[in-house]
Amino acid sequence: MSLTPLTYEILLTLADEHRHGYGIIKEIEARSGSSSAPSTGALYLALQRMEADGMVAEAPRPKGDDDGRRRYYRITARGRADAEEESVRLAELVAVARAKRLLPEARV
Amino acid sequence: VTRSLLRFLLWLAPAHFRTRFGAEVLSVHDARRESGAGRRGRLAFDVREVAGLALTVARLRLGGSGTERERTMTTGGGNMLESTLQDLRFAGRTLRRNPGFTLAAVSVLGLGIGANTAIFSATNAFLFRPLPFGDAGRLVMLYETNPEFGWTDATAAPANVLDWREQVDAFADVAMYSTFVNRIPYVRDGEPELVGAINVTGNFFSVLGVKPEVGRGFDWDETWTGNDAVVVLSHAFWVSHHGASPDAVGKTLTFGNTTVEIVGVMPEGFDFPNPEADLWSPWGWDPANRQAAFFRRAHWVSPIARLKPGVTPERANTELQVVVDRLQKDFPETNRVMGAGLTPLRDFLVKDVRRPLGVLLGAVALLLLLACTNVANLMLVRASDRTREVALRFAMGARGRRILRQMLTEGLLLALLGGAVGLALGWVGVRAIARMQPIGITGATTLALDGRVVLFTVGVAVASGLLFGLAPALRATRGDLQGALKEGGRGGSAGRGTMRTVGMLVSVEVGLAVLLVVGAVLMVRTFWMLRSVDPGFRTEGVVAVQFGIPSARYEKRDQVLAFQDEFERRMEARPGITRVGLVNQLPLAGTSWSSQFQAEGWPPERVGFEILHRRTDAGYFEALDIPLVRGRMFGPDDGADTPPVVLINETFAREHFPGEDPIGQKIAYDRTAAANPEGSIWYEIIGIVGDQMQTSPAEPARAEAFENRDQDWGRGEWFVIRTAGSVASTVAVTRGVLHEMDPLIPLAAVRPIREVWRESMAQQAFILTLLGAFGAMALLLAAVGVYGVTAQAARKRTQEIGIRMALGAGASDVVGLMLRQGLAVVGLGLAAGLAVALLATRAIATFLYGVEPTDPATLVSVVALLAGVAAVASYVPARRATSVDPVTSLRAE
Repeated sequence: MSLTPLTYEILLTLADEHRHGYGIIKEIEARSGSSSAPSTGALYLALQRMEADGMVAEAPRPKGDDDGRRRYYRITARGRADAEEESVRLAELVAVARAKRLLPEARV
Repeated sequence: VTRSLLRFLLWLAPAHFRTRFGAEVLSVHDARRESGAGRRGRLAFDVREVAGLALTVARLRLGGSGTERERTMTTGGGNMLESTLQDLRFAGRTLRRNPGFTLAAVSVLGLGIGANTAIFSATNAFLFRPLPFGDAGRLVMLYETNPEFGWTDATAAPANVLDWREQVDAFADVAMYSTFVNRIPYVRDGEPELVGAINVTGNFFSVLGVKPEVGRGFDWDETWTGNDAVVVLSHAFWVSHHGASPDAVGKTLTFGNTTVEIVGVMPEGFDFPNPEADLWSPWGWDPANRQAAFFRRAHWVSPIARLKPGVTPERANTELQVVVDRLQKDFPETNRVMGAGLTPLRDFLVKDVRRPLGVLLGAVALLLLLACTNVANLMLVRASDRTREVALRFAMGARGRRILRQMLTEGLLLALLGGAVGLALGWVGVRAIARMQPIGITGATTLALDGRVVLFTVGVAVASGLLFGLAPALRATRGDLQGALKEGGRGGSAGRGTMRTVGMLVSVEVGLAVLLVVGAVLMVRTFWMLRSVDPGFRTEGVVAVQFGIPSARYEKRDQVLAFQDEFERRMEARPGITRVGLVNQLPLAGTSWSSQFQAEGWPPERVGFEILHRRTDAGYFEALDIPLVRGRMFGPDDGADTPPVVLINETFAREHFPGEDPIGQKIAYDRTAAANPEGSIWYEIIGIVGDQMQTSPAEPARAEAFENRDQDWGRGEWFVIRTAGSVASTVAVTRGVLHEMDPLIPLAAVRPIREVWRESMAQQAFILTLLGAFGAMALLLAAVGVYGVTAQAARKRTQEIGIRMALGAGASDVVGLMLRQGLAVVGLGLAAGLAVALLATRAIATFLYGVEPTDPATLVSVVALLAGVAAVASYVPARRATSVDPVTSLRAE
């Protein structure tokens, strides 16, 4: 079992902070560039399913944000475990890649 | 638009998703859109947003309660390909099994896509084709402006341009060229021909950033006299006259008394500024001209500048204005209110075609939308016919997503077939457009279906496939198994929901048709109005021919005039030819030169602005049936040694001599004449002639003065020949006469006056033809749509009709019932179309003449026409429904 790239990105984004939907997108854009940000529709499809799977849950709105349309999300223990599992899997893959000289720094 | 599409998609989404996330999706979308990048990025973003939400909705609808853990990883990619191929095969089979449906859908789409392909090729050729210049983004066109003369982008005076070149720091360099082709007589192996020459300054090629293929370009020094005996050949001329031999460079060409050296050959495809250019040659100006008044007073060169790297057109313009102000102060006599402006080259080149192409692109987009709506309707009706098939596949365990894909594949296959037909039709359309040769629309560029056009067509086909395929596919795969089986059980006709959608789509079709037909009718009326305008001269039975009298053999004025007189005399002696006259510029073919003027006795501050000039003889007016309203015509006593005389048109008399008699008054063509009468040439007004349209029947005649060609002469005049014979026989006679007189003078041009008249309306005719064709297609498509919806409704209600008729309802009652239903849908579309048309027709206002964009008669007649067509289209199937025997219809399933 592996996570889709978008699911993984969302979990990474929520790992250290509660965010609303637009905040998640801005974080992904900042990290991976605006062209790799998901469409709004795709984001909410993922959020809906992640919520159903118990990876994320709704978080209380922080003080200072009184925009009633915004809903905040947080990562759950289950989500954190999934993200860790996926990170380990990816790290192992990267280790293999490095061993096979597929990482630029390994070429030196 | 994007937002309403998103709303629509959310509306399609399952309720739990919509209520939980709907508002959030929209607000996040808004926030992203506001923070988004430039306009270009925004379109791509919108497309992604819509596509993304559509996919989300499709997954939510079909994927059940899916989780976000990936499954496709385990099934692998090979499977995907295989299932796609399977989908394609299945779609192909389905389409083959329903040849009627397939044929209808493919031809409707082909029409829509073909129209788009044709118009896009034209747009592609004009607006998007890269300019054949180095770093063309830094090129700007310069022009002069003058509020008193009403100039907005006039050709410039060379002395002014030379000053700009030296004083505007933002310009890396400024070149000049003549827009018109100078046709020089040339003798090749004893045969006369005309060679098209463009006069340029020596830096012309370097400013454009184009290098000769062979040899060199010019130097700046070669602009001036003494260094100017050099030419650069066009690629085509090099091939035809020198067999593409590199040895051509260094050879000489002889034109009459002038011999020039070939220094270079331009690469293939370079034909700026005129495709008739055979060669470019320097003007050979006298450096002393810079101090001469005419060099600042006469405006005849086209300047083009290359900006220094990093300089914006705005900054260059600011600097230019500083120089312009200085010149206004330094040369008040010529430059008092003379302004200047600049426009990036590409914008300048397309300014005349941008609007018509925009309108036509809009029209074909509407037509395609109409075609898609039509096909969506066909598919919807068919989808409801196939509910049972789909339900069966569901029941047998097929996954919703797979069925959706299957339906979409079918839509796409249809669209691609339509695209192929469209490409073929587009090719035909492009050739037709090229053949029409609309003046001001096709210019230097050639029309072709290139890779970009093909790509565009495929793109349009795929987009329309998704457009008309998605809605029916979603509908058909809504997982309501029981309902589907039940509805199917009732008899395979469309369900209530489907009928509502079909009705809505038909309303949309009718609305779109209203728009297109209104546009077409407005153009038809414009054209009628234009054709009924009296151009002020006879258009039938007159042929104009032109030739140049070379200075090599006819050096003196008297020799030229004698040749022209003798030509007229010999022509008039030929059978069928009743009168021949000459003029330097044909009416309705543009203007030659303009000036200001003062009349004798006027106070020095009174000036008449922008009067047009032409040079004629008496024969011109007689051959073209232009009436002499008052006074007298040029006579044999008016000659080089007698005081200059002039005829004016009625507009001149009305505008500049209101309430007085112009005849006998004297005028001079400058603004210092009244103050200093001895320093000017005075022309006596001897008569008033009827107005002749000068540029277009849509524009009223302007004040115009006709100088006497016996006093003011030229070598390249047009001869207008009034003849009872055909154009071909007249040309043959002309050639014969010319050959008798001098076998080395070639006929330069032939233009029947009727053609001149028609070409002056070419732009309107072009738009009319295309909008008319689109309007007719729209009408047809809308009629098919209305027919379809009524036929479908009739089919659905066969039992009901049977019962009604069995209970004694007459055929006319039932027909009335059905008609009402059809026409309600049509009425909605008519109303919506009319409302939009009231706003949208403004887009074509500039092409209209004699009719308002919101002309009530047009709108009413279009509504009546569409209502009539719709009535017939729904009467036929309604009538057919009642002709069925009640017993049969009751039994029907």
